[in-house]
Amino acid sequence: MAGTLSAVAAGLRELYEAPYRRTMARARRDEDDLFTLVVLAEALGVPNPASYYTVEMLPLVADRVHEWHTRLGMDRSPLEHVSCC
Amino acid sequence: MLLDLAARRRVLFLGGKGGVGKTSIASAVALSRARAGQRVLVVSTDPAHNLGHLWRRTVGDDVVRLDTAPSGGHLDGVEVDPERTTAAHLSAVRDTLRRIVPEHLGGEVDRHLDLARDAPGMHEAAVLERVADLTEQGLAGYDLVVFDTAPSGHTARLLSLPETMGAWTDGLLRRRDRSERLGAAAQMLGGRGEAEARRDAEIRSVLTRRRERFTLLREVLTDPERCAFVVVLAAERLPVLESVELVEQLSTLQVPVGGLVVNKRSPADAGPLLAARHEAERAHLDTLRERLGHLPLDEVPLLGDDLVGPDALDRLAGFL
Repeated sequence: MAGTLSAVAAGLRELYEAPYRRTMARARRDEDDLFTLVVLAEALGVPNPASYYTVEMLPLVADRVHEWHTRLGMDRSPLEHVSCC
Repeated sequence: MLLDLAARRRVLFLGGKGGVGKTSIASAVALSRARAGQRVLVVSTDPAHNLGHLWRRTVGDDVVRLDTAPSGGHLDGVEVDPERTTAAHLSAVRDTLRRIVPEHLGGEVDRHLDLARDAPGMHEAAVLERVADLTEQGLAGYDLVVFDTAPSGHTARLLSLPETMGAWTDGLLRRRDRSERLGAAAQMLGGRGEAEARRDAEIRSVLTRRRERFTLLREVLTDPERCAFVVVLAAERLPVLESVELVEQLSTLQVPVGGLVVNKRSPADAGPLLAARHEAERAHLDTLRERLGHLPLDEVPLLGDDLVGPDALDRLAGFL
């Protein structure tokens, strides 16, 4: 009985929290996309005056590129010099 | 003026139009301080390096000993090579990237980094990196660092970079703040975490390290107790106008200007041609005094022989 109750409580909790979590996660993902684009500016043909400093962050965002282009519905990376799969 | 100034500062920048004798003046003042018993480092940031020619030896991107004074002081020199700095920087990134991307994509990594090597600003950033590095080394291991800089425009730009790049890292750090706050909120509501949090921490530490470097350099550059910029010029129309402009740019950047050195002043008593030059130069110097009269000024006469080696530099220092 107690187990059932707590399962129901967890379900209700999830029902309440999930939309918030989704919103937060989406906002964060947008921020991270922006950051990735700043780091990959060159690859998009945007002259980047700070490339000396952005290249050192490439290793940190490299794995996000794959997640990013698959999320956008592209099988392959659209960036000419950055491919991941 | 210049020798007194050098005795009271830790970092000196010498700048001005190309060909006015910055390298000779820089080495002369540096040598004179070394003779006075100080540990001195002279750094050439001009892409057209002349330090080696002046000292009749090879000077490169690694610090070499140029002179040891009987007083116990010594003079070291280095010619900054931004290409080497860029190459080292990129190869560190390359190694890290190669480790994390799948093996068959190694070529992609190389292509992207080759593209980055020639990106605008890369060269400047590398010079800035070396200047920051040598300033830190200089403050730690030397009594005085003398920077012999590239012609005016480049230098004003170089000195503005710590502020610009500081603003850039600040901007990115603010975005990271936002991203991390959102991430933390999502995690509290039961989202995923760990790996992302670790990445956030790494990005933040890279950015913060950069930010600290820029802040430190900017602090030194704008500190009138430790640092001074000296404009070297010839008493001709264009160098005078360019110097006035440079001093304005420096004051906008809040870089303290210590004085002016007018080099290669023609004598009044060595034939009619040089006497005529002497007169023409006086008119230009009047303009200079009118515009920059508040700055102390040294005049160095035109010397008969080529300036090479320590003896010639000693003689040159006698006029400063």
